[in-house]
Amino acid sequence: MIDIGYFALCTALIFSGYSTFASFAAGRKRNLSLARSGENAALVTCGLLTLAVIVLWHALLTHNFRVQFVAENSDLSMPVFYLITSLWGGQAGSLLFWGWILSLYAVAIIIVYRNRYRDLMPYAVAVISSSSFFYCILHLFSADPFTLLPTIPENGRGLNPLLQQPLMAIHPPLLYLGMVGMVVPFSFAISALLSGNLDATWLRPARRWMLIPWSFLGAGLLLGGKWAYVELGWGGYWGWDPVENSSLMPWLAGTAFLHSIMVQERRGMLKVWNFFLAILCYSLCILGTFITRSGIISSVHAFAESNIGPFFVTFLVIIGVSSAALLYYRLPKLGPENKLESFVSRETAFLLNNWILLGILFAVLWGTLFPLISEAFTGQQITIGPPFFNQVNTPLGLILIFLTGAGPLVAWRKSSTSSLKKHFARPFLFALLSAPIILGAGVNDFYAFVSLTLCCFVVAAIGLEFHTGTLARKRSTGEGYFIAMFRLSSKNRRRYGGYITHVALVLLFVGFTGKAFTTETELVLQESETRRFGEYNLTFETLAYGENAGMQSTAAVLSLHLNGERLGTLLPERRYYKAFDQGTTEVSIYSGLLEDFYLILVGWSNDGSAKFQIYINPLVKFVWLGSIVLIFGSIWAMWPTGRDRRVAKIDTQNALNTNKTVESI
Amino acid sequence: MQHKFYLGSAVILMGLAYLMWTSFQQSTSMHLTLGMFMEKIQLGHPTSDRIQLGGSTVVPGSILWDKYKSKATFDITDGENNLNVKYVGNTLLPDTFKDEALVVLEGTYNNQKTSFEADLVFAKCPSKYEGQDYSNHVEAMQETGY
Repeated sequence: MIDIGYFALCTALIFSGYSTFASFAAGRKRNLSLARSGENAALVTCGLLTLAVIVLWHALLTHNFRVQFVAENSDLSMPVFYLITSLWGGQAGSLLFWGWILSLYAVAIIIVYRNRYRDLMPYAVAVISSSSFFYCILHLFSADPFTLLPTIPENGRGLNPLLQQPLMAIHPPLLYLGMVGMVVPFSFAISALLSGNLDATWLRPARRWMLIPWSFLGAGLLLGGKWAYVELGWGGYWGWDPVENSSLMPWLAGTAFLHSIMVQERRGMLKVWNFFLAILCYSLCILGTFITRSGIISSVHAFAESNIGPFFVTFLVIIGVSSAALLYYRLPKLGPENKLESFVSRETAFLLNNWILLGILFAVLWGTLFPLISEAFTGQQITIGPPFFNQVNTPLGLILIFLTGAGPLVAWRKSSTSSLKKHFARPFLFALLSAPIILGAGVNDFYAFVSLTLCCFVVAAIGLEFHTGTLARKRSTGEGYFIAMFRLSSKNRRRYGGYITHVALVLLFVGFTGKAFTTETELVLQESETRRFGEYNLTFETLAYGENAGMQSTAAVLSLHLNGERLGTLLPERRYYKAFDQGTTEVSIYSGLLEDFYLILVGWSNDGSAKFQIYINPLVKFVWLGSIVLIFGSIWAMWPTGRDRRVAKIDTQNALNTNKTVESI
Repeated sequence: MQHKFYLGSAVILMGLAYLMWTSFQQSTSMHLTLGMFMEKIQLGHPTSDRIQLGGSTVVPGSILWDKYKSKATFDITDGENNLNVKYVGNTLLPDTFKDEALVVLEGTYNNQKTSFEADLVFAKCPSKYEGQDYSNHVEAMQETGY
């Protein structure tokens, strides 16, 4: 069975190689049958990688410890769910999973665009297949998931208990779907450059296929934050670790891309910039994978140093150099069709938005790579800590949140003073009225005050956009208010989906702002003792002990009261996993609307006392709420409208007619 | 218009550079291996800066916990050098912190030059097998009873 998996990988290498060359040749010669052959080879590659994944899953589920990967990442005691998820619990399996997702993306675009974008598709398939080819090389020559051990161990090493958590089971696949999916907009950018079809056609598929991985990446990042919050016991959800940063950077570049393409579609500007962003997104994904998996930069994340780095560096250099050369070659044909007419215009707002996003990205990249940069120039590694990232990104983030609200209020080309007054007056007034309320609520930190006031401005601006659009539709159709709002948003999903994601950003910023007011303390309590912290009264009732075959557990039982009202029982816990000789901290959180009471059992003593660490985290719920709204807004924006379907039908019909003509000739 | 655009871009770039420069000053640590750090001490070089110490593991049996296991002193080693470490941070030590764990520490060398006072400890239990030669891998598997 294992041989079948290995054989599937070897064959996938051949098919992905063939698909690359056949599709590229088809693009050059405009040969449809060769293009179909290349596409079919990509479909077969996907089938073979699917087979390899099934074989590895089978080995995990049947405890085939002869396979090194199975012995290292699973054991007999693991439930089926975690046996399945352990596929991405180690380097070789996760890379196979990564390559498989890549091939699924190839299949998806081949099916969706089988009769559309015929100029672009052969090159797009060639680019994705070349990536598949690279991953097949990795599977076979650097991280073979089917390596066998000379003897069969009785049991495996198991999956780290910290990873045996539902959030952690879902978090990596979402990140992979995001990071890998960035290959699709990149492939359409390269196909436009290769084919010479340099108008805005490539942006249509690129936009939709950017939104999909962008959403997955965003969801993956936020789920990872949630996992860190509930599992790691440090009261936070983001630590500016190099591995976290590696996933954030492509997301930032993708956000810039989703905004800047609107300028090209509408005004024929920023053409080079859009190609650059699509290339940057994918390059950052490869760079991020390199940082995560090579162990070249110290990170808390658990991929050990490996020999995989040189492969990724080579791949990154090939992508960077060839893309840059191609872009340079096409540069003369990428001049703007229009010029900026005014500073007070939608184009400028988008441009500023892009500058800020790229500024944040650059700061994060700089901070992440600085140990390597400093070592290269001085021979001494200097690391940069979280304060750098927070201090740089806080003011930049505030400008970004302002633009989130202000951008849609500014007209294309040039906004007149009267138009500005008309559109800005009410959101500005709302923010002005909110300011004393925010101050009155005790927000005395400068950045926090500015952040919350700007959030009010953005909410008012977006609310007005919905309201005025709804009223106009209501007047013209006679529909009820909410029906009119729903249909308005459904008819123009791109615009209103974008507004929904802007609301999500506001919620996220409210949550981030709450971090400025986190308070923490340590308490030592005797049994039955009550202590006050903030507005809360905490009573330590008793310690409870438990044990099963794999784990020992000690939990503290505490009751929490607020202003005399009992809120509930908290059960912070310390576990010890025998097989791993490792403890885990299980925090207990009472989550109110405005703040979380976050309780950690630090330790206990034989005299019956126990020590607790408490965090009061204001507004953290808004981060999770913002995550949900972000996903909803993204789905709303990417869902095809009736117009999209009509355009797709016409494109398909045109392509079929062209094919018939070619065949008849 | 083009001039104004370039001027605006320059202002943004300078603002970013200023922000990065001022934030950079307060956030850096010198990354040293334990061997490099010990060499600095022996040569009498100043060690007052904030330092990130990497590439060492916790010496088995050296962890001394306080009453509630929230703070600890322990030794780290790179196989050649040993150093005593006192954890003085506010947060819990990570769950992965234990004997033989690979640790990265941030902090300063104390005034008495007796131990390293770490306020940040990152610990990971790297796979003992990933990234090793195949023969080492088999050996490790056999040693651990697999």
